[in-house]
Amino acid sequence: MELLRLSVLGGLLALDGTAVGQFMLSRPLVAGTLAGWLLGDAGTGLAVGAVLELYLLVSFPTGGARFPEGSTATVVAAGTAAAIGGPGALPLGVALGLLWGHLAGATVTLLRRVNARLVPGPETAASDVHLTRAHGVAVVLDFVRGTLVTGSGLAVGRLALGPAATAWPLGREDSMALVLVGGVVSAGILLHDFGGVRAQRVWFLAGLLLGVLVPRLL
Amino acid sequence: MSVLGRRTAVATFLRSFVVQGSWNYNTMLGSGFAFALLPGLRRIYADDPEAYQEAVRRHLEHFNAHPYLAGIALGATLRLEDEGAPPETVQRFKAAVRGPLGSLGDQLVWATWLPLVAVVCLVLYWTGAPGLWVVACFLVLYNVGHLGLRIWGLRTGLEAGRNVARRLGGAGLDRKALRLHPVGALAVGALAGTLAGGRGGLAEVGWSWAAVGAVAFVVGLVWGHRAWRPAAVMTVGVVVVISLLGGLP
Repeated sequence: MELLRLSVLGGLLALDGTAVGQFMLSRPLVAGTLAGWLLGDAGTGLAVGAVLELYLLVSFPTGGARFPEGSTATVVAAGTAAAIGGPGALPLGVALGLLWGHLAGATVTLLRRVNARLVPGPETAASDVHLTRAHGVAVVLDFVRGTLVTGSGLAVGRLALGPAATAWPLGREDSMALVLVGGVVSAGILLHDFGGVRAQRVWFLAGLLLGVLVPRLL
Repeated sequence: MSVLGRRTAVATFLRSFVVQGSWNYNTMLGSGFAFALLPGLRRIYADDPEAYQEAVRRHLEHFNAHPYLAGIALGATLRLEDEGAPPETVQRFKAAVRGPLGSLGDQLVWATWLPLVAVVCLVLYWTGAPGLWVVACFLVLYNVGHLGLRIWGLRTGLEAGRNVARRLGGAGLDRKALRLHPVGALAVGALAGTLAGGRGGLAEVGWSWAAVGAVAFVVGLVWGHRAWRPAAVMTVGVVVVISLLGGLP
Protein backbone atom coordinates (compact mmCIF):
# COMPACT_ATOMS: atom_id res chain seq x y z
CA MET A 1 0.00 0.00 0.00
CA GLU A 2 2.86 2.31 0.91
CA LEU A 3 4.62 1.58 -2.41
CA LEU A 4 1.39 2.26 -4.29
CA ARG A 5 0.86 5.60 -2.57
CA LEU A 6 4.43 6.68 -3.27
CA SER A 7 4.17 5.51 -6.90
CA VAL A 8 0.97 7.54 -7.42
CA LEU A 9 2.70 10.54 -5.83
CA GLY A 10 5.56 10.04 -8.32
CA GLY A 11 3.05 9.93 -11.18
CA LEU A 12 1.33 13.12 -10.06
CA LEU A 13 4.59 14.99 -9.53
CA ALA A 14 5.88 13.79 -12.90
CA LEU A 15 2.86 15.54 -14.46
CA ASP A 16 3.84 18.80 -12.77
CA GLY A 17 7.34 18.44 -14.24
CA THR A 18 6.24 19.20 -17.79
CA ALA A 19 2.70 18.26 -18.78
CA VAL A 20 0.48 19.96 -16.21
CA GLY A 21 1.03 23.23 -14.41
CA GLN A 22 4.76 23.37 -13.72
CA PHE A 23 4.16 24.86 -10.27
CA MET A 24 7.45 23.22 -9.29
CA LEU A 25 5.84 20.78 -6.89
CA SER A 26 8.03 18.41 -8.87
CA ARG A 27 11.29 19.99 -7.67
CA PRO A 28 13.28 17.73 -5.33
CA LEU A 29 12.88 20.10 -2.37
CA VAL A 30 9.09 19.67 -2.48
CA ALA A 31 8.90 16.11 -3.85
CA GLY A 32 11.28 14.80 -1.16
CA THR A 33 9.28 16.42 1.63
CA LEU A 34 5.99 15.05 0.29
CA ALA A 35 7.43 11.53 -0.10
CA GLY A 36 8.91 11.64 3.39
CA TRP A 37 5.66 12.96 4.82
CA LEU A 38 3.75 10.05 3.23
CA LEU A 39 6.14 7.70 5.01
CA GLY A 40 5.91 9.59 8.30
CA ASP A 41 9.49 10.89 8.00
CA ALA A 42 9.32 14.32 6.37
CA GLY A 43 12.76 15.23 7.79
CA THR A 44 14.59 12.48 5.87
CA GLY A 45 12.55 13.28 2.77
CA LEU A 46 13.49 16.95 2.96
CA ALA A 47 17.17 16.11 3.55
CA VAL A 48 17.25 13.90 0.45
CA GLY A 49 15.25 16.51 -1.49
CA ALA A 50 17.60 19.33 -0.48
CA VAL A 51 20.69 17.40 -1.59
CA LEU A 52 19.08 16.40 -4.91
CA GLU A 53 17.85 19.98 -5.40
CA LEU A 54 21.48 21.06 -5.09
CA TYR A 55 22.50 18.55 -7.79
CA LEU A 56 19.60 19.43 -10.09
CA LEU A 57 19.85 23.22 -9.69
CA VAL A 58 21.27 23.47 -13.16
CA SER A 59 19.03 20.90 -14.85
CA PHE A 60 16.00 22.46 -16.51
CA PRO A 61 13.19 21.06 -18.69
CA THR A 62 14.18 23.19 -21.69
CA GLY A 63 12.49 22.43 -25.00
CA GLY A 64 13.47 19.11 -26.52
CA ALA A 65 16.52 18.62 -24.31
CA ARG A 66 16.93 15.32 -22.49
CA PHE A 67 17.11 15.98 -18.76
CA PRO A 68 17.08 13.88 -15.61
CA GLU A 69 13.59 13.76 -14.16
CA GLY A 70 13.88 15.15 -10.65
CA SER A 71 10.35 14.42 -9.43
CA THR A 72 10.22 10.63 -9.77
CA ALA A 73 13.93 10.36 -8.89
CA THR A 74 13.39 12.23 -5.62
CA VAL A 75 10.36 10.17 -4.62
CA VAL A 76 12.43 7.02 -5.28
CA ALA A 77 15.41 8.42 -3.36
CA ALA A 78 13.42 9.71 -0.38
CA GLY A 79 11.19 6.62 -0.26
CA THR A 80 14.25 4.36 -0.24
CA ALA A 81 16.22 6.44 2.27
CA ALA A 82 13.30 6.59 4.71
CA ALA A 83 12.79 2.83 4.42
CA ILE A 84 16.39 1.63 4.83
CA GLY A 85 17.47 4.10 7.55
CA GLY A 86 20.92 4.48 9.13
CA PRO A 87 23.88 6.68 8.14
CA GLY A 88 23.99 5.14 4.64
CA ALA A 89 20.37 6.05 3.86
CA LEU A 90 21.17 9.52 2.55
CA PRO A 91 24.11 8.71 0.21
CA LEU A 92 22.52 5.50 -1.04
CA GLY A 93 19.17 7.23 -1.61
CA VAL A 94 20.80 10.16 -3.38
CA ALA A 95 22.92 7.86 -5.58
CA LEU A 96 19.84 5.85 -6.54
CA GLY A 97 17.95 9.10 -7.21
CA LEU A 98 20.68 10.40 -9.53
CA LEU A 99 20.73 7.10 -11.41
CA TRP A 100 16.96 6.80 -11.57
CA GLY A 101 16.59 10.41 -12.72
CA HIS A 102 18.51 9.52 -15.88
CA LEU A 103 16.46 6.39 -16.51
CA ALA A 104 13.27 8.39 -15.95
CA GLY A 105 14.57 11.02 -18.39
CA ALA A 106 14.90 8.28 -21.03
CA THR A 107 11.24 7.32 -20.51
CA VAL A 108 10.24 10.98 -21.03
CA THR A 109 12.01 10.85 -24.40
CA LEU A 110 10.19 7.62 -25.24
CA LEU A 111 6.81 9.10 -24.31
CA ARG A 112 7.45 12.12 -26.52
CA ARG A 113 8.03 9.73 -29.43
CA VAL A 114 4.75 7.98 -28.62
CA ASN A 115 3.00 11.37 -28.43
CA ALA A 116 4.25 12.17 -31.94
CA ARG A 117 2.19 9.20 -33.21
CA LEU A 118 -0.73 9.93 -30.94
CA VAL A 119 -1.52 13.58 -31.64
CA PRO A 120 -2.92 14.68 -34.99
CA GLY A 121 -0.81 16.86 -37.28
CA PRO A 122 -1.98 19.76 -39.47
CA GLU A 123 -2.11 17.50 -42.54
CA THR A 124 -4.67 15.14 -40.97
CA ALA A 125 -8.43 15.51 -41.08
CA ALA A 126 -8.51 15.89 -37.30
CA SER A 127 -11.33 17.57 -35.44
CA ASP A 128 -11.37 19.39 -32.10
CA VAL A 129 -12.77 16.23 -30.48
CA HIS A 130 -9.90 14.15 -31.84
CA LEU A 131 -7.37 16.73 -30.59
CA THR A 132 -8.93 16.94 -27.12
CA ARG A 133 -8.96 13.17 -26.76
CA ALA A 134 -5.35 12.76 -27.93
CA HIS A 135 -4.17 15.56 -25.64
CA GLY A 136 -5.94 13.96 -22.66
CA VAL A 137 -4.56 10.50 -23.44
CA ALA A 138 -1.02 11.96 -23.62
CA VAL A 139 -1.43 13.46 -20.14
CA VAL A 140 -2.78 10.16 -18.74
CA LEU A 141 0.14 8.27 -20.33
CA ASP A 142 2.58 10.65 -18.64
CA PHE A 143 0.95 9.93 -15.28
CA VAL A 144 1.14 6.18 -15.89
CA ARG A 145 4.78 6.52 -16.95
CA GLY A 146 5.66 8.48 -13.81
CA THR A 147 3.84 5.99 -11.59
CA LEU A 148 5.58 2.97 -13.14
CA VAL A 149 9.01 4.62 -13.08
CA THR A 150 8.58 5.51 -9.41
CA GLY A 151 7.20 2.11 -8.43
CA SER A 152 10.00 0.20 -10.15
CA GLY A 153 12.64 2.50 -8.64
CA LEU A 154 11.27 2.01 -5.15
CA ALA A 155 11.19 -1.76 -5.60
CA VAL A 156 14.79 -1.83 -6.83
CA GLY A 157 15.89 0.50 -4.04
CA ARG A 158 14.34 -1.52 -1.25
CA LEU A 159 15.53 -4.86 -2.59
CA ALA A 160 19.06 -3.85 -3.51
CA LEU A 161 20.01 -1.15 -1.03
CA GLY A 162 18.86 -2.67 2.26
CA PRO A 163 21.99 -4.87 2.65
CA ALA A 164 24.23 -2.02 1.42
CA ALA A 165 22.81 0.28 4.11
CA THR A 166 23.55 -2.26 6.83
CA ALA A 167 27.17 -2.52 5.72
CA TRP A 168 27.67 1.23 5.09
CA PRO A 169 30.97 2.14 6.82
CA LEU A 170 30.77 5.95 7.11
CA GLY A 171 29.12 7.92 9.88
CA ARG A 172 26.21 10.33 9.38
CA GLU A 173 28.32 13.52 9.05
CA ASP A 174 30.82 12.03 6.59
CA SER A 175 27.95 10.58 4.56
CA MET A 176 26.33 14.03 4.30
CA ALA A 177 29.70 15.60 3.39
CA LEU A 178 30.22 12.99 0.67
CA VAL A 179 27.00 13.84 -1.17
CA LEU A 180 27.35 17.59 -0.60
CA VAL A 181 30.75 17.69 -2.27
CA GLY A 182 29.27 16.44 -5.55
CA GLY A 183 26.38 18.87 -5.26
CA VAL A 184 28.67 21.84 -4.72
CA VAL A 185 29.72 21.48 -8.38
CA SER A 186 26.23 22.76 -9.28
CA ALA A 187 26.76 25.87 -7.14
CA GLY A 188 29.93 26.57 -9.13
CA ILE A 189 28.06 26.05 -12.41
CA LEU A 190 25.36 28.44 -11.24
CA LEU A 191 27.86 31.18 -10.41
CA HIS A 192 29.30 30.59 -13.89
CA ASP A 193 25.78 31.14 -15.31
CA PHE A 194 25.25 34.29 -13.24
CA GLY A 195 28.31 35.91 -14.81
CA GLY A 196 31.29 34.24 -13.13
CA VAL A 197 33.56 35.30 -10.30
CA ARG A 198 35.20 38.23 -12.12
CA ALA A 199 31.92 39.98 -12.93
CA GLN A 200 30.15 39.18 -9.65
CA ARG A 201 33.05 39.00 -7.18
CA VAL A 202 31.69 41.65 -4.79
CA TRP A 203 28.25 40.03 -4.61
CA PHE A 204 29.66 36.51 -4.37
CA LEU A 205 32.13 37.41 -1.60
CA ALA A 206 29.42 39.29 0.33
CA GLY A 207 27.21 36.20 0.10
CA LEU A 208 30.07 33.92 1.13
CA LEU A 209 30.69 36.03 4.22
CA LEU A 210 27.00 36.07 5.09
CA GLY A 211 26.79 32.31 4.60
CA VAL A 212 29.67 31.67 7.00
CA LEU A 213 28.80 34.26 9.65
CA VAL A 214 25.01 34.45 9.86
CA PRO A 215 24.39 30.79 10.89
CA ARG A 216 26.99 31.18 13.68
CA LEU A 217 25.39 34.36 14.96
CA LEU A 218 21.83 32.99 14.95
CA MET B 1 -11.39 41.76 -25.99
CA SER B 2 -14.22 41.94 -28.55
CA VAL B 3 -15.98 38.63 -29.22
CA LEU B 4 -13.54 36.76 -27.01
CA GLY B 5 -14.67 38.13 -23.64
CA ARG B 6 -13.53 37.41 -20.11
CA ARG B 7 -14.80 33.82 -19.95
CA THR B 8 -12.84 32.83 -23.04
CA ALA B 9 -9.73 34.51 -21.66
CA VAL B 10 -10.08 32.57 -18.39
CA ALA B 11 -10.67 29.28 -20.25
CA THR B 12 -7.58 29.90 -22.42
CA PHE B 13 -5.56 30.81 -19.34
CA LEU B 14 -6.53 27.57 -17.57
CA ARG B 15 -5.77 25.50 -20.66
CA SER B 16 -2.37 27.19 -20.94
CA PHE B 17 -1.35 25.19 -17.85
CA VAL B 18 -1.51 21.99 -19.93
CA VAL B 19 -0.01 23.47 -23.07
CA GLN B 20 2.85 20.93 -22.83
CA GLY B 21 0.50 17.99 -22.13
CA SER B 22 1.15 16.28 -25.47
CA TRP B 23 4.67 17.63 -26.15
CA ASN B 24 6.19 15.59 -28.98
CA TYR B 25 9.15 15.59 -31.36
CA ASN B 26 7.06 16.36 -34.47
CA THR B 27 5.08 19.46 -33.58
CA MET B 28 6.54 20.09 -30.10
CA LEU B 29 4.01 22.40 -28.39
CA GLY B 30 1.78 22.49 -31.50
CA SER B 31 -1.03 20.20 -30.33
CA GLY B 32 -1.08 21.72 -26.83
CA PHE B 33 -1.20 25.19 -28.35
CA ALA B 34 -4.18 24.24 -30.52
CA PHE B 35 -5.86 22.63 -27.50
CA ALA B 36 -5.49 25.86 -25.50
CA LEU B 37 -6.92 27.88 -28.41
CA LEU B 38 -10.11 25.79 -28.69
CA PRO B 39 -12.42 27.94 -26.45
CA GLY B 40 -11.41 31.09 -28.34
CA LEU B 41 -11.66 29.54 -31.80
CA ARG B 42 -15.06 28.06 -30.93
CA ARG B 43 -16.26 31.56 -30.02
CA ILE B 44 -14.73 33.29 -33.04
CA TYR B 45 -16.09 30.73 -35.53
CA ALA B 46 -19.37 30.13 -33.67
CA ASP B 47 -21.41 30.62 -36.87
CA ASP B 48 -19.22 28.53 -39.15
CA PRO B 49 -18.40 24.99 -37.92
CA GLU B 50 -16.40 24.20 -41.09
CA ALA B 51 -14.17 27.26 -40.63
CA TYR B 52 -13.78 26.33 -36.96
CA GLN B 53 -12.50 22.82 -37.72
CA GLU B 54 -10.26 24.23 -40.42
CA ALA B 55 -8.79 26.72 -37.93
CA VAL B 56 -8.18 23.88 -35.41
CA ARG B 57 -6.27 21.94 -38.08
CA ARG B 58 -4.20 25.00 -39.04
CA HIS B 59 -3.04 25.45 -35.45
CA LEU B 60 -1.89 21.84 -35.12
CA GLU B 61 1.32 22.86 -36.90
CA HIS B 62 4.74 22.94 -35.23
CA PHE B 63 5.06 25.50 -32.48
CA ASN B 64 7.34 25.96 -29.52
CA ALA B 65 7.75 28.49 -26.72
CA HIS B 66 8.54 28.59 -23.06
CA PRO B 67 5.34 27.28 -21.38
CA TYR B 68 4.98 30.35 -19.14
CA LEU B 69 5.28 32.71 -22.11
CA ALA B 70 3.10 30.64 -24.46
CA GLY B 71 0.17 32.76 -23.23
CA ILE B 72 1.60 35.74 -25.11
CA ALA B 73 1.37 33.81 -28.38
CA LEU B 74 -2.02 32.33 -27.43
CA GLY B 75 -3.51 35.75 -26.70
CA ALA B 76 -2.03 37.41 -29.78
CA THR B 77 -3.09 34.52 -32.04
CA LEU B 78 -6.67 34.69 -30.77
CA ARG B 79 -6.67 38.43 -31.32
CA LEU B 80 -5.43 37.96 -34.91
CA GLU B 81 -8.05 35.27 -35.57
CA ASP B 82 -10.71 37.52 -34.07
CA GLU B 83 -9.68 40.39 -36.35
CA GLY B 84 -10.04 38.08 -39.35
CA ALA B 85 -6.35 38.05 -40.27
CA PRO B 86 -5.53 35.72 -43.21
CA PRO B 87 -4.21 32.26 -42.15
CA GLU B 88 -0.80 33.01 -43.72
CA THR B 89 -0.44 36.10 -41.53
CA VAL B 90 -1.27 34.12 -38.38
CA GLN B 91 1.17 31.41 -39.44
CA ARG B 92 3.95 33.96 -40.09
CA PHE B 93 3.26 35.60 -36.74
CA LYS B 94 3.55 32.30 -34.87
CA ALA B 95 6.76 31.43 -36.70
CA ALA B 96 8.22 34.83 -35.81
CA VAL B 97 7.49 34.71 -32.07
CA ARG B 98 8.26 31.08 -31.23
CA GLY B 99 12.06 31.52 -31.11
CA PRO B 100 12.13 34.64 -28.90
CA LEU B 101 9.43 33.29 -26.57
CA GLY B 102 11.47 30.12 -26.08
CA SER B 103 14.87 31.66 -25.46
CA LEU B 104 13.53 34.56 -23.39
CA GLY B 105 11.59 32.20 -21.11
CA ASP B 106 14.53 29.82 -20.73
CA GLN B 107 16.80 32.70 -19.78
CA LEU B 108 14.35 34.40 -17.43
CA VAL B 109 12.69 31.41 -15.76
CA TRP B 110 14.85 28.27 -16.04
CA ALA B 111 18.25 29.93 -15.89
CA THR B 112 17.49 32.76 -13.45
CA TRP B 113 14.24 32.74 -11.44
CA LEU B 114 14.02 29.02 -10.62
CA PRO B 115 17.67 28.55 -9.50
CA LEU B 116 17.62 31.86 -7.62
CA VAL B 117 14.55 30.92 -5.57
CA ALA B 118 15.85 27.37 -5.05
CA VAL B 119 19.25 28.61 -3.82
CA VAL B 120 17.66 31.08 -1.41
CA CYS B 121 15.52 28.27 0.04
CA LEU B 122 18.49 25.87 0.22
CA VAL B 123 20.37 28.51 2.21
CA LEU B 124 17.38 28.73 4.55
CA TYR B 125 17.34 24.95 4.91
CA TRP B 126 21.05 24.65 5.70
CA THR B 127 20.91 27.51 8.17
CA GLY B 128 18.34 25.54 10.14
CA ALA B 129 14.99 27.07 9.10
CA PRO B 130 11.99 24.76 9.75
CA GLY B 131 11.46 22.35 6.86
CA LEU B 132 7.82 23.21 6.22
CA TRP B 133 8.71 26.90 6.15
CA VAL B 134 11.46 26.26 3.58
CA VAL B 135 9.14 24.34 1.26
CA ALA B 136 6.32 26.88 1.64
CA CYS B 137 8.73 29.74 0.99
CA PHE B 138 9.97 28.02 -2.19
CA LEU B 139 6.48 27.36 -3.57
CA VAL B 140 5.05 30.79 -2.74
CA LEU B 141 8.04 32.82 -3.90
CA TYR B 142 8.48 30.86 -7.10
CA ASN B 143 4.82 30.84 -8.05
CA VAL B 144 4.36 34.57 -7.46
CA GLY B 145 6.77 35.04 -10.37
CA HIS B 146 5.37 32.09 -12.33
CA LEU B 147 1.69 33.06 -12.17
CA GLY B 148 2.44 36.76 -12.57
CA LEU B 149 4.30 36.00 -15.78
CA ARG B 150 1.52 33.79 -17.14
CA ILE B 151 -1.22 36.35 -16.38
CA TRP B 152 0.82 39.22 -17.80
CA GLY B 153 1.64 37.16 -20.91
CA LEU B 154 -1.91 36.25 -21.87
CA ARG B 155 -3.20 39.74 -21.13
CA THR B 156 -0.43 41.32 -23.17
CA GLY B 157 -1.07 38.98 -26.09
CA LEU B 158 -4.82 39.63 -26.10
CA GLU B 159 -4.34 43.39 -25.88
CA ALA B 160 -1.45 43.83 -28.29
CA GLY B 161 -2.26 41.25 -30.99
CA ARG B 162 0.17 41.60 -33.87
CA ASN B 163 2.06 44.36 -31.98
CA VAL B 164 2.99 41.99 -29.21
CA ALA B 165 6.67 41.96 -30.23
CA ARG B 166 6.91 45.69 -29.51
CA ARG B 167 5.24 45.24 -26.11
CA LEU B 168 7.55 42.32 -25.35
CA GLY B 169 10.61 44.39 -26.24
CA GLY B 170 9.34 47.26 -24.11
CA ALA B 171 8.86 44.97 -21.11
CA GLY B 172 12.61 44.26 -21.12
CA LEU B 173 12.35 40.75 -19.70
CA ASP B 174 15.92 39.95 -20.77
CA ARG B 175 17.22 43.02 -18.91
CA LYS B 176 15.21 42.01 -15.85
CA ALA B 177 16.85 38.56 -15.91
CA LEU B 178 20.30 40.16 -16.13
CA ARG B 179 19.45 42.48 -13.25
CA LEU B 180 18.76 39.44 -11.07
CA HIS B 181 22.22 37.96 -11.71
CA PRO B 182 24.00 39.90 -8.91
CA VAL B 183 21.28 38.75 -6.50
CA GLY B 184 21.85 35.22 -7.78
CA ALA B 185 25.62 35.54 -7.21
CA LEU B 186 24.95 36.78 -3.67
CA ALA B 187 22.69 33.77 -3.03
CA VAL B 188 25.23 31.31 -4.48
CA GLY B 189 27.90 32.89 -2.27
CA ALA B 190 25.66 32.46 0.77
CA LEU B 191 25.01 28.84 -0.20
CA ALA B 192 28.73 28.12 -0.67
CA GLY B 193 29.52 29.83 2.64
CA THR B 194 26.82 27.90 4.50
CA LEU B 195 27.84 24.54 3.03
CA ALA B 196 31.55 25.12 3.60
CA GLY B 197 31.87 27.10 6.78
CA GLY B 198 28.40 27.30 8.32
CA ARG B 199 27.23 25.39 11.37
CA GLY B 200 27.51 21.68 10.57
CA GLY B 201 29.14 22.56 7.23
CA LEU B 202 31.95 20.68 5.47
CA ALA B 203 34.67 22.44 7.49
CA GLU B 204 33.16 21.19 10.74
CA VAL B 205 33.09 17.62 9.46
CA GLY B 206 36.75 17.90 8.44
CA TRP B 207 38.98 20.38 6.65
CA SER B 208 39.74 17.76 4.00
CA TRP B 209 36.01 17.72 3.11
CA ALA B 210 36.02 21.54 2.87
CA ALA B 211 39.07 21.41 0.59
CA VAL B 212 37.44 18.82 -1.70
CA GLY B 213 34.27 20.94 -1.70
CA ALA B 214 36.26 24.02 -2.74
CA VAL B 215 37.83 22.06 -5.61
CA ALA B 216 34.37 20.83 -6.67
CA PHE B 217 33.05 24.40 -6.68
CA VAL B 218 35.96 25.60 -8.85
CA VAL B 219 35.43 22.68 -11.25
CA GLY B 220 31.78 23.76 -11.72
CA LEU B 221 32.78 27.39 -12.08
CA VAL B 222 35.41 26.72 -14.73
CA TRP B 223 33.75 23.93 -16.72
CA GLY B 224 30.18 25.18 -16.47
CA HIS B 225 27.45 22.74 -17.48
CA ARG B 226 29.99 20.23 -18.84
CA ALA B 227 30.91 19.46 -15.22
CA TRP B 228 27.41 18.45 -14.13
CA ARG B 229 27.14 14.93 -15.51
CA PRO B 230 30.68 13.83 -14.51
CA ALA B 231 30.01 15.11 -10.97
CA ALA B 232 26.78 13.09 -10.72
CA VAL B 233 28.42 9.97 -12.19
CA MET B 234 31.37 10.33 -9.81
CA THR B 235 29.06 10.64 -6.79
CA VAL B 236 27.19 7.49 -7.79
CA GLY B 237 30.51 5.68 -8.42
CA VAL B 238 32.00 6.68 -5.06
CA VAL B 239 28.86 5.62 -3.18
CA VAL B 240 28.91 2.24 -4.96
CA VAL B 241 32.63 1.71 -4.17
CA ILE B 242 32.16 2.64 -0.50
CA SER B 243 29.17 0.29 -0.27
CA LEU B 244 31.23 -2.55 -1.72
CA LEU B 245 34.17 -1.81 0.61
CA GLY B 246 31.81 -1.69 3.56
CA GLY B 247 30.52 -5.13 2.68
CA LEU B 248 34.01 -6.65 2.78
CA PRO B 249 34.77 -8.77 5.82
